[in-house]
Amino acid sequence: MYPKPTRREWIAGTAGATLLAGCKASGPPAAPAAPPQVSIVRAAYDQSLYDTVRRILAGHSLDVRGLTVVLKPNLVEFEPGTTINTHPLLVHAAYEAFLAAGAAGVRIAEGPGHRRNTLDLAEAAGYFRTIPRFEDLFVDLNLDDVTHVTPRTQFSGLRKLYLPNTVLGAGLLVSMPKMKTHHLVGATLSMKNLFGTVPGGIYGWPKNALHWAGIPQCIADLHAIYPRKFAIVDGIVGMDGNGPIQGDPKPVGIVVAGSDPRAVDATCCRVMRIDPFRIGYLRLAATDVTQIAEQGIVQTGETIAAVATPFALIPEFQSLRLG
Amino acid sequence: MPQANAAPRQPCHPMPIGALIAKQNRDGGWPYSRGGSWTEPTVYAIMALFLAGEAASAQRGLAWLGSIRRRDGGWPPRAGVDLSTWVTALVALLGPGKIGAPPYGRAIQWLLGTTGEESTTVYGLREWLLGNSTPSNDRKFPGWPWIPENAGWVVPTSVAILALDKEDRRQPSSQVRHRVDAGRQFLLSRTCDDGGWNYGSSRPLGYPSRPYPETTGLALAALRGVRSPQVDRALAMAQRFLAECRSADAMNWLRFGLRVHGRLPAGYCAPSGLHYRTIPETSLDMVMTAAEQGRDLFWG
Repeated sequence: MYPKPTRREWIAGTAGATLLAGCKASGPPAAPAAPPQVSIVRAAYDQSLYDTVRRILAGHSLDVRGLTVVLKPNLVEFEPGTTINTHPLLVHAAYEAFLAAGAAGVRIAEGPGHRRNTLDLAEAAGYFRTIPRFEDLFVDLNLDDVTHVTPRTQFSGLRKLYLPNTVLGAGLLVSMPKMKTHHLVGATLSMKNLFGTVPGGIYGWPKNALHWAGIPQCIADLHAIYPRKFAIVDGIVGMDGNGPIQGDPKPVGIVVAGSDPRAVDATCCRVMRIDPFRIGYLRLAATDVTQIAEQGIVQTGETIAAVATPFALIPEFQSLRLG
Repeated sequence: MPQANAAPRQPCHPMPIGALIAKQNRDGGWPYSRGGSWTEPTVYAIMALFLAGEAASAQRGLAWLGSIRRRDGGWPPRAGVDLSTWVTALVALLGPGKIGAPPYGRAIQWLLGTTGEESTTVYGLREWLLGNSTPSNDRKFPGWPWIPENAGWVVPTSVAILALDKEDRRQPSSQVRHRVDAGRQFLLSRTCDDGGWNYGSSRPLGYPSRPYPETTGLALAALRGVRSPQVDRALAMAQRFLAECRSADAMNWLRFGLRVHGRLPAGYCAPSGLHYRTIPETSLDMVMTAAEQGRDLFWG
C-alpha cells in the first residue's frame, strides 16, 4: 500500500521535476567537468565474470588503494530462481576485483525494504554459498549504527535523515542494482538502489517516510548525500514488466558501469528503451542535462544500439518508451 | 488440533543464556547482532532473561530502556534518535510491573494517540480535494505506522494490538477495546489473495502480492480469538509456511500465530539446521518455547 504519492501526484511531481531541470539547464553554466564515462560490457553468470569486472575497473582507472569500499547490491525478496536480486556471483566478482585493486577493505551491505530478516534473504538469494565468509563481510544497513544527516539538496523536504555509518564512512560506495522496471518510478537502477541505505530499523519496512516525501525527490537527495560513488549494474538477466518484484526475467547479457550514477542509469534506460528524460529522479539529480544526455556521456565497450533490449512496461508507464 | 502447551517439554533449541548476557552492551541494551543498542532486541532479550531467571541482566536492560524514554511518552528505536516509533508497543508489552506504572501509562496513551496517516481527517480532506477516492475502511479502521505521520502497516499494527489487548485484559477500557477492534479490522482488510499477510500491501497498484511467513504469524497472533474466513485462510497458509520455512525469525512468529489459534501441532519442534543469528531470533525462540509451556509473556 502506497497511500502517497498517488499516481496523479507522481505525475505532477515528475512534471515539476522536468520544469525544474529545465530551469537549471537554462541557468548560469556550471564549471566545466569531465564528461561521465559509462562502459557496457557483455557478461555471463560464470567464472569469466571475475575477469570482466576486473577489466571494468581498470577501464575506469579507479584508484581505490587504501579505501574502504562498500558494495551495495539489491536484495528484495526470497524467490529462488527469479531475477529479483542482484546475482551473488557479480557481487563476489566485484569484491575480488576491488581487493585486487588495492582497497583497504571491502564490505557488502544492504537494507531491504520489505523483509526484515536480511540474512535469511541473502541466504535464499545464494549469497552464503557463493561468497566465502559472507556473514563476516556483510552489514545489514537496516540495523547498522546511524548518524543524522541533513540532505543538501532538499528535493524531498526531509530536514533530517538517519543513515548508516557503514555507508557514510565508505571511501567508495558501489551501487550494484539489478536492471529492472519499477511500478512506481519506471526503472530501478543504481540511484533507486540507494533506498536500501535508509535504515528500516528507524523508518520501518517499507521505508514509508520516503514514499510520503516523494520517491523521485528522495532518490535525488540520497544521490547528493553520498559523494564518492561507483555503479555496476547487473544487466546480465534483468527484469521487465511489473518490476521490481513480480516482473519477468529479461536476458540482456551486459554489465553497465561508471562513476556517475546518473549517466549509468540514463544509459541503462536507453538499453531498456526507456526515455531517461522521463524518469523523474534522473531529471532532478542532473545538475546539467548533459549528465544524462547521450551525447554528454563518454560511451565505452558495446554501443547502446548493439545491446538495446526493449523492456516490457506496465500500461501506466507506456509513455516512458524511448522513441 | 490439540495445542502444544498442554504439557511442559524441553526446548527444542536450548539457548545458552550466557551467550545472550555476553552480548549485552555496556549501556545495558542489546544490538540486533552487533553494534549499538536498539530498543527492539533489548525488549526481547529482557523477556528471555526474565523467563530464564536472569534478573540482574534484565534489570540493566530495563534501566537502559528507561534512560531513552522520550518526553512524548513513546520510545525511540535506539538512543540518539529523536523520534518515538512503533517500538513503544514492544516496551509496553513488558507491562507496568517492569517499566513502571507512569511510563507504562504514557506509552499506552502514546499508542492510543497514534494512527496511520491515511486514517486522519487531514489526509481524507486532501485526497478529496485532489479528487481521489480513499477506501472508507482506511478511516473507519485505523492501524499503526512504523513512525508517526506515515501509513499503517501490518507489523506495527499487530504489535500495538498485542500491547493494547494485554492492557485491556489488565484494566478494561472501551477506548482501548475500540482501537484493538479497529486494528483487527485493519488487518483483516489487508490479507493477500492467497491468504496471510505481507508487509501490508496485498495488491500494490492492483497487482496481487504474496504473503510472508513472519508477518502472517504475527498478524495471526494479533487476531487471537477472531473467527473469520480471512483468519481461516491465513491459518492454512501459516501451516504451509511452517512445513516449508527455513527462517528462524519467521518460524518464531509462525509458532506464535498458530499456537494462539490452537493450530500448532502438539509437541512441535522446529526443524534442525535453522540459523539463529540475531538477538531477536534467539530471544524470541526462548520466549515462544516458554509460551508453548504455558508462560506467555505476550498474553499474561
